[in-house]
Amino acid sequence: MSVTISLSAVEVITAFFDAYRVHDLERMVELCSDNADFHYIPFEVWGRQRVIRGDGKVRTIGKALWATLIDAFPDLTNEVTSIIADEEGNVAAEVVISGTQAKPYGTIANQGLHYNLPNIFLFRVGKDGLIEEVTGYWDNADFYRQLDRLEVD
Amino acid sequence: MSAQDLVQTFFAKMDAGDVEGTLALVAPEAPVNLIPLQLQGSASEVGRDYFQQLASAFPNLQVRVRRLFVGSDNTAVAEVTIEGNQAADFFGILNQEKLMDLDQVWLLHVGDGAIDRIKAYWCQNRLYRRLGVRRLDHITITA
Repeated sequence: MSVTISLSAVEVITAFFDAYRVHDLERMVELCSDNADFHYIPFEVWGRQRVIRGDGKVRTIGKALWATLIDAFPDLTNEVTSIIADEEGNVAAEVVISGTQAKPYGTIANQGLHYNLPNIFLFRVGKDGLIEEVTGYWDNADFYRQLDRLEVD
Repeated sequence: MSAQDLVQTFFAKMDAGDVEGTLALVAPEAPVNLIPLQLQGSASEVGRDYFQQLASAFPNLQVRVRRLFVGSDNTAVAEVTIEGNQAADFFGILNQEKLMDLDQVWLLHVGDGAIDRIKAYWCQNRLYRRLGVRRLDHITITA
């Protein structure tokens, strides 16, 4: 007989940020369903021909964006300051993410500066205990100012 | 009125540009924290200032609630999109009559039939980009 223990939605999200804190990308992805949706709302890169957005799937766009951020900020960490959840698997987590830049990050040159940024993440957790959607919000103006990048685009 | 209905009404009033109607659903001393504007204070001061500036700067404002749920502590979490054409300055951003659309998350705690705590998140950089601001150290200079 096999026994499956499903974590509560809050436990899943707590485990997700625990994994993020220790840069365990495989564990972060493992906590998500195979087809989990990913939306980083402030992520917009304006090119000459098109705008690249932070929309896609956790296993493709999400994992790549997390890896890139950790690579540029090797001491990246997070502090979960509140979690709000209903009984249907909807979860909101307020999280402060911080780190010290060690490499260029996108268009942000490395000046070795530290940032500390309030984020809010919205999740939908399925009945099987896997995250089905990750949506993130933060203020890039605050992020850029802390890293001394003053151009809006 | 349930927390869900109260919050739906709150955004419907905002959508209608009804500042007094929006504020009537909020306890006057409710703490308001607008993270991207780094503004904290009471609903009667910070909240009123925000809703008044929003309604006057974007007279054709539309507020669309895309996701809404209420947590076990009676905090409503609302993911909304606001959209409108700028018609007046807005928190230092000069009016260039540009169209903006902005996704936001609002946390609205409900107690004793009123909203008694507000916190909001959005990307101010996206708002600057939509409204034609070029530099973060000169948000009122657009040339």
